[in-house]
Amino acid sequence: MSNLQLTDDQREALQEVTNIGMGQAGAALAALLDTFVTLSVPRIQLVQVAELGKSLRAMVRDAQDVTAVRQSFQSDISGEAIVIYGPEGCKELWDLMGYEPSDEPPGTSTERELLFDVANVLVGACVCSVFELLGRSLSFSRPTLIGEKVPLDYLLQQETLPWGMALLVEVNFSLENRQFTAHLVTLMAEDSIEQMKAALDHFVANL
Amino acid sequence: MSTQVENRFSEFIVDRVGFGIFAVTRDMQLVLWNRFMQQHSGKKAEEIIGKNLFDCFPELPRKWLQKKFEGVFLLKNFSFISWEQRPYLFQFKHDRPVTGGVDWMQQNCTFMPMINAANEVEMVCVTIADVTDISIIQRQLQSALVALGESANRDGLTGIYNRRHLEERLAQEFSRCKRYGGGFSLLMFDLDHFKRVNDQYGHLGGDAVLRAAAARVTNVIRTADIFGRYGGEEFALILPETDLAAATIVGEKVRKAIGETPIEFDGQKLTATTSVGITTMRSDLPAYEALIHEADTALYRAKGLGRNCVVVAGSDIEPLKIS
Repeated sequence: MSNLQLTDDQREALQEVTNIGMGQAGAALAALLDTFVTLSVPRIQLVQVAELGKSLRAMVRDAQDVTAVRQSFQSDISGEAIVIYGPEGCKELWDLMGYEPSDEPPGTSTERELLFDVANVLVGACVCSVFELLGRSLSFSRPTLIGEKVPLDYLLQQETLPWGMALLVEVNFSLENRQFTAHLVTLMAEDSIEQMKAALDHFVANL
Repeated sequence: MSTQVENRFSEFIVDRVGFGIFAVTRDMQLVLWNRFMQQHSGKKAEEIIGKNLFDCFPELPRKWLQKKFEGVFLLKNFSFISWEQRPYLFQFKHDRPVTGGVDWMQQNCTFMPMINAANEVEMVCVTIADVTDISIIQRQLQSALVALGESANRDGLTGIYNRRHLEERLAQEFSRCKRYGGGFSLLMFDLDHFKRVNDQYGHLGGDAVLRAAAARVTNVIRTADIFGRYGGEEFALILPETDLAAATIVGEKVRKAIGETPIEFDGQKLTATTSVGITTMRSDLPAYEALIHEADTALYRAKGLGRNCVVVAGSDIEPLKIS
């Protein structure tokens, strides 16, 4: 296996790029949702896929069942972003996402649409701003549902991931005055990790 | 390729591709409206370019859609609408007038930010794919799966539940009562001298009797009761939340429903009777199979007592009635 480990410089650069990106994402989300958005300091880990389950469990501490949406992004660096909600999803954000009171009570399909809308916004804000700093403009595929109210282990069980390593970027969101939290995980395959390292080197060289 | 040629290509593709394509500025002014959009909306580009999208289409879900556009402008991000959650954005006719089954063209929409040199989103371009065909196939598949799941539980001859489903439900009821308390009763019954019917009237006659018996019992039970063919001429009936006394009354109803009036077959009148065995859930039972055994034993006692009667398991009482 090629050496996928990040050098200290690369790791530092990634942390910095991610921090700046998330700062911008937080501001953009606050503007869009018209409420204060708290983002955790992003945690970056390069993990073996076999260890991924353990890392996810450590991240989503107390939630037994989760609802999760995935979305893939493409450029020369491609990957997949997964938004993990609590079992109740994101009903709290109903009005913030522009749904009318008359749309209520949420039917299954509108509730799903909301799950996708919110995931799309969170993924877009975070992943786009990070990659913009790395000089990439991304394309996105439409979000799909991984599972609704399923045990956390189910998220990865379903997937037979075709690669051995994953770059895990973890951010947690919460909103002011709302019972809402979500976790964002970004996964990248090995060849994208190589590209990412090159992009980080380039970023460092141009500081 | 020269820029000029490239531009001509781009224009050609945008105009003729089988997708709807339109674009709006930050203040929702339309700046692009391709041929697909013109044909399906009946609004020409020259009529609406430069106008506000929501003025041209007041029926659009304004608040929500505006938020969607705002997200793309603010976050410089793609956004999507899927027919599976929201069947369509624009009310367009689809071109499957005969075999459609859906009201309007089903659409998948993609919102893309167009970023200018100053790194701002200048416009948002939306593509609309007609996914009516896919949606129809998907819906047909869904209902076929439901029907398939349902038919897997049914007995082919009588249309009532089959043995596999009966056992599944019995196991469910059993573990539910074990865990949470409550009760249910089980009836097993068997058509008397069924072999004679087959011998005398052939298998078609036998089938007619089985069908008639199943239909008659279906008519006298509650919707919550679970009724099925256990095998051959034997039937089982699960009665949720029903004690032995009430189950005995049901047993008598079943016996009468089958035996009181003759069954017509091929212009002839056949008389079929049934013997019924009944048992009820008790928390000390080890497994649901014990209930089947008890009801079956009661059923064989009913046969021994002269048939066409109802016997309760474990009791030494006389059969309820012999007509």
